[in-house]
This record gives sequence, C-alpha cells and structure tokens, in this order.
Amino acid sequence: MRKYLARRALFALGTLLGVSLIIFVVLRILPGDPLVAILGVEGHARMTKEDRVRIMHDLGLSDPLPVQYVHWLHDIVTGKLGKSFFRGDTVADLILHRGPISAEIGILALIVSWLVGLPVGIVSAVKPNSSLDNIARSLAILFIAIPGFWLGMLIVLALLFWFGYKSPLIIVHFWQSPWQNLQIVIGPAIVLGLAQGAYIARMARSCLLEVIREDYVRTARAKGVVERRVVLGHALPNALLPVITISGVLLGFVLGGSVAVEQAFGVPGLGRALVTAVIERDIIVVQNLVLLYAAIFVVVNLLVDLSYAWLDPRIHYA
Amino acid sequence: MSDQPVSGNRPDTLSRRTFLRAAGVAGGAALGPAVLHRKAEAQETPSPIRPDPSAKRGGTLRYAVHNAPAHFDVHQSGTVANIGPQSPMYDTLLRRDPKDGQTIISDLAWKYEISPDGKKYTFHLRKGVKFHDGADFTAEDVKATYDRIVRPPKGVVIPRTPLFATVSEIVVVDPHKIEFRLTEARPKAFMLGSFASGWNIIVRKKTLEENQGNLRQVMNYPGTGPFKHVSRQDKEVWIMDRNPNYWNKGLPYVDRLEIYHMFPFSPELGSAFISGKVDYARLLDPVSWRKAKEMPGVTAAAFNQSVIQAFWTNMKRKPLADPRVRRAIHLAMDRHTLVEVVKDTAPMQIGGFVYPFHPMSTPKAELEKRLGYQKDMKPAVQEARRLMQEAGYGQGIKGLDFVVRDIQTFKLWAVAIQAMLKEHINIECNLRTVQTSVWFDEAAAGNFDLAISAIVSTLMDPSDYFSAWYGQNGPQNYSVWTNEQFHSLTKQIDRELNDTKRKAMVRKAEDILELDPPLIPVAYEQIYDAWYNKVRGQNPSTYFGIYDVVRWDQVWLA
Repeated sequence: MRKYLARRALFALGTLLGVSLIIFVVLRILPGDPLVAILGVEGHARMTKEDRVRIMHDLGLSDPLPVQYVHWLHDIVTGKLGKSFFRGDTVADLILHRGPISAEIGILALIVSWLVGLPVGIVSAVKPNSSLDNIARSLAILFIAIPGFWLGMLIVLALLFWFGYKSPLIIVHFWQSPWQNLQIVIGPAIVLGLAQGAYIARMARSCLLEVIREDYVRTARAKGVVERRVVLGHALPNALLPVITISGVLLGFVLGGSVAVEQAFGVPGLGRALVTAVIERDIIVVQNLVLLYAAIFVVVNLLVDLSYAWLDPRIHYA
Repeated sequence: MSDQPVSGNRPDTLSRRTFLRAAGVAGGAALGPAVLHRKAEAQETPSPIRPDPSAKRGGTLRYAVHNAPAHFDVHQSGTVANIGPQSPMYDTLLRRDPKDGQTIISDLAWKYEISPDGKKYTFHLRKGVKFHDGADFTAEDVKATYDRIVRPPKGVVIPRTPLFATVSEIVVVDPHKIEFRLTEARPKAFMLGSFASGWNIIVRKKTLEENQGNLRQVMNYPGTGPFKHVSRQDKEVWIMDRNPNYWNKGLPYVDRLEIYHMFPFSPELGSAFISGKVDYARLLDPVSWRKAKEMPGVTAAAFNQSVIQAFWTNMKRKPLADPRVRRAIHLAMDRHTLVEVVKDTAPMQIGGFVYPFHPMSTPKAELEKRLGYQKDMKPAVQEARRLMQEAGYGQGIKGLDFVVRDIQTFKLWAVAIQAMLKEHINIECNLRTVQTSVWFDEAAAGNFDLAISAIVSTLMDPSDYFSAWYGQNGPQNYSVWTNEQFHSLTKQIDRELNDTKRKAMVRKAEDILELDPPLIPVAYEQIYDAWYNKVRGQNPSTYFGIYDVVRWDQVWLA
C-alpha cells in the first residue's frame, strides 16, 4: 500500500509539473499586453519604449522564460505563490480569503448531487421504464443540458424581480455569519449540484440495474429478504463504486463550472477571481489558480482511487 | 469668471448679520473695478463648499462603482476604477463645484492669481491642512506632485502630462504659495480645468520620495481628503471613515463610505442597486437604469461622459488613405441606428469629431441636419456612393480586416457597421474579435484595416484631445492620420486666448475633420447613475464625465 501511495504521489507530482509547464508556456505565448490593463488605455498609449522596459523589469517579465519559470516554482515551494501584477496582493492571500467560499460551494454541490442523484437513480433502477423513471430520466437530461451559468442568472433575476432579494455583496465566511455565508454559497451549490446530480442519477441507475440482476441479489430475494434491504443493503454498495469514481471526475466539472456559476451569481470566490485575472491578463494569478484547480483534481482522484480499497475489501493495492 | 459659490437660499427676514454680510458684498462689488485693474487677476474663495445647515450628519453611504483598480496610483491611472474609490481620500488645488460639475471653485488653493500675460499661475495654499498621517500640507507637496505629473520619472506614465506641456517651472515661493511658470499662455479655462481635474490629487512629497515616484503598489498613501482609509478587500469593497480633522469644517457629512467594486453596465451592479444593497450606483446598464427610474423613492440621472466610441481606418492601406473613401465610410454610418443597436447595453448619443455637448462644437440640432448625422440616410448614402465612384472604388472594396475589441457594444456595432458598409457602399469586411490587450497591440502595430474601440479625454476642451486623438504622432491617432491644415490650426487653437475666435477655429477644425476623417465617430457615451432619495447633496445631471466630482464630501443621508 505504501509503495502504491508513493508511486501515485510521484505520478501526481509529475502531472502537476507538466501542468505547470503547459500553463506557464501557454500564458506567455498568448497574444496581448498585460500593460494595457496595468496602465489603462491612455497610459498604455503614452508609454515610451524606456517606460515599457522599466515596467517589464519591475514586474519580472524581462527575465528569460526559464528563469521566470524557476522563480515561479520557487514561489510555489515556499508557499508564496507570487504577487498579482496589479495591486501587489499575494496570491496566497487571495486563495486564503476566497478559497473557503469556493471550497464550500464545491463540497455543498457534491452533497446536493448525491442527495438528489442517488435517490433518483435508485427509484429509476427499482422501477425501470415506469412513469417515475421516465420523469427522473427526463429531468436528469434537462439538468445536464442546461448551462449552469444560465440557470444561475435565471435564479438571480427571479429572486431579484419577484422578491427584491440579492445575496451579500462581499465575502462573509461561515465563522463570521453562518446565515449570510449560506446565502452566498447555496445558489451556486444547488445549480452545480443539480447538474452533477443528474450524472450521478444516470450512473446510479445503470449500475444498480446491472447489479440487481446478479445472482446474489436474486438469492437474497429468494431468501425472503425485504426489497428495501435487498436494494440498499446488498445491491447498492456494489453499485456505488462507479458512482464514486464519477464523483471524483465530476468534482473537476464542479471546479470548472464554478468559474461561470460564481460569475453568474456574483459570488466572490476563486472562480470569479480567475475570470477577473484572465480579463486583466494577470498572468501570475491565472497560472497559480489554474495549477491549484489541477492540484485539487489530481488529489481528489487519488483519494477516490484509495477509497476503493476501503469500500470493497476485495481490492488490494500492492 | 467668478469662482464664488452661489447660494440658493435667500433669508425671509433681514437680520443684522445678513445686512452686514450684504453690505460687505455690496462694498466688494463697488470695489470690483479697482480689483480688476490690479496687475494680476486674483480669485478668492474662502471655502469651496459651504456646509449646508439643513444637511444631516452621520450614517454609512454604500456606493457601487466599477471593478477594482489595476493599481493604486491615481496619477498614472485613466480609469474610474481608481478615481471612484480613491478620490474621497484626496484633495486637488482647485475643483469642480458638485452643484453643477462645471464651475471651478477653490480647494487646497484658497486663492489663485494669473499674470496679465497668462504665463504665471500663482496659488495661495490653505494653512493648517494636514495629511491623514498628521503631516502638514505645504507648497513642497504641491511641487513634488506636479513635478511628477509634468515630468514623470522613468517607468511612470501619467496621461495628464500633456495638459501641462507648457509648464516650464514650478517654484515654491513660501510654504503656502506656489507658482507655475509657463513657456507660453494657454486659455484660462483650459489651464484652470487642468488644475481642477480630479486626477491631479495632491500627495505627500515624502510618500513620493519613499516610493521612488511610483505608487502603483502602494495601497494607502496619505491624502488630505475628507475620508480616511479603513480597510480594503480586493475586488470587493473599500471602506473609509470620515476624516475628523478635515480642513473644510463641517464636512464630510457621512461617517463612513463603503465603495463596492462591480463591473460597469453589469447585471450584478444593477441587481445590487435594485435590491437595495447599495444606496448609489454609477455606470448602470440601461435595463437596470430604466427599472430604477420606475422605482419609488429612487432618482435616476443621465449625463455626459468624456468618451468617444469610434473606429479607425488604417491610413497605410491604399484605399483608406484616400480622404474620399474615409468620408464615404463616415457618411455610410446610420448613427441613429447604431445608438439604437446598443440601447440595452450602454447609453449613447450621436456626435461628430468634437464633444457634441461642448459650447464650441456644432450644436446638436445643427449637426443632425448634416450628412452623416441625419435620420434620413438617403442623401448621405448618395453622396457616399458618389465619393467612392470618384475615388475609383465604385465597385466597392473587398476583404477589409475589421478588428473588434471584445466588448459587447463593439461586437454589436461591428456587425451593424459591417452590414451598413456592405449595403451602402459595397465595402466588405471580415470581423476579427480580440481581447482588449490584443486590440491595443494590433492598433499600435497597424495590423488592421478598420478597428473599433473607445478613447477618453480628461477635459472637454479640444486642446486636450485634438492632439491626442487627431494630432501627428498623437498617442491615440491609431489611423496615423495627418493633415497639415488641421495640425497648424490645432496649434492656433491651443494658443488662442479669445473664446470667440477659438470657437470659430474649432468649427473650422470640425469642417476639416468632416472632409478628411481621422477616425469614424460612432457615438458618445453617457453615464447612467441612480440613487435612493435618502442620498442628498448630489445630482450629476450636468456633470461632464465621472472623473472630477467624486469626493462625496457634500453628500448626506436623510
């Protein structure tokens, strides 16, 4: 197990190093001048060549690319993650301030997806092709098809025009005011959770339908075990493994989706910070946030893999 | 010109104090001619804004304006992202009266004198003014501030530098008196407008020295303004408290300012206002603004902004170098439709090459009778086709590269302009939408045939933007346009001190630009503000732009 863990950790590190290199190179070869955002349109228009050289030097952008990359890796290792080009705020501070909100949204979305997806999947599997199953499947397809940011905007507008309501404008952490914090995170969590719940429902249904036809389930029924126990106690645990796997993958979608959904809801989380940084061409913020998202994705998938052994005693890692 | 603030309140009864005050004013009026014959022209205002006795003290004003600034150096900025949240912490030498947004009144300078030859501006500074860190404000701070604006150090770019191009020397006469010596006289309104610009905040000499003249990453540098920094959360909110030691006693009225950063024209800003999460919203989108206008207890105002929306024609491309082709393109624009196209995205109005609301420009009613600005497009299109024929492009032009800045209004306009060019004069173009930063790279490098964007000026005065927008080597002359007649006229406009003569010259310049367009004007931006009626003391309906009256010291909460 330890060997397996070490091997996976090494692979994860390699993956992240590769990702960091790709992000770094892509951000630097993309066209566009970050000095437009820093100096503004008028300032940029009036900038002399000497000014440009000086400013690029101050920002550390005049160093050769390998040097810039090594500086960044050093910043990552020391936990500083560098400073925004613009206001001089450190990226670490940004993550510490906004990260909890995005993390809450991600975790809540995952909970919502399981709370909605699993029961719907079970009902659909237990009564396949019934009207209940048809409704559940239609809803699942609908929620997969609807873009999260669009649904988010509809919710925001409906709340505003019908109830004159808007969630708090600035970040309120859970420990500062749980009620206000909930108002910030609940909308994006539901929108993201419903979309992921639809995937989970479909996956749970197909897995459960497969397992339900297994011999040991038939045996349980033949022994007179009540149907609820047959489904929940015998069939479901074995059908859950693929659902857990997909949950890890879905977390990646939640992370990606949160960028647009946070924007739609006006939630000042990391996703929104990423959008602003892209608009501003704040390379340092963008590369660190993308790397952070990649790291979360890699770690979650590693945890999912490891959880197999715990969920299914037949699986052993050597 | 009088800089005295005008009081709108007339007492019902004549008290002894009122009588004496009136007698003093009358005496002053009688002495007026004698004062006018003095060597230098003196302007004096003891207090730029008199505290309103009916105003209520206290409360928190929640104001939403623009997204977060890219840096903190107001002098180096050109966006309301800085001036919106930072201005309440600073003062200027002179300022615009919040009553109308136009009249210039005193600020840190309580009096100024202009030498008869117009080449020396002397400012008498207030005594007893302190920076937020407790340091005394002196003429050395003004000198350090303006030395930096007039001649920025390397790596520091200040868009207002050209306003003071004629300032050769800044001399501290004594700790509360400073002189600006000019190489040649400039129109008084232009110079005073430059000193009153909200951008030219006074900062401490020591602050500049400690930061090598660059404040881009210095968040909280001390000012003398009515509000003091308390805290700031990046891209969320900037909080400041009333400065209890503000030199203008009785001001400001509100105890706390919370300034929220929100993207202009965004649904988020609109919803924050409509839901009552903010008391005052600036740069609302038209849909939210119209909704706000219908809300009880809310006032909505529209006012002029210092921005021209236009597209540039690359003079290095052969067909576009021909003024007849550019004039034809200019005439092919159905501007009334273009304003309509974006009416739900951003508020716009029709205009030509000079701000349509400037007293020296062709009045709007007259402008709309001209070809290119009329509602009926037929005569303009007819003339445009004739010009194309005459220039040898009667069959049209194909394959123009139209670079579009990735902003909603420009994207909407680009499609409409593409259709108008095709339909009216058979010019075909391919749209290429790019990010803002790429747009400026492409424009500066000349990698375009047509390119649409927007540019701003500090002042409404043509002497500010004629050289920047249309001047030879002007930083925003993306077309690389030249016209010797216009350039020589610009120099005369800059120097002419007589307003009537100047106006005639500006009109002549307009005529030149109409026939040989350096860019194609699309529209002039407007600003939509809305506020709950409990916010008193400010109505921006007559303001020009959002860069001068932005201090909130005169605003109170009912």
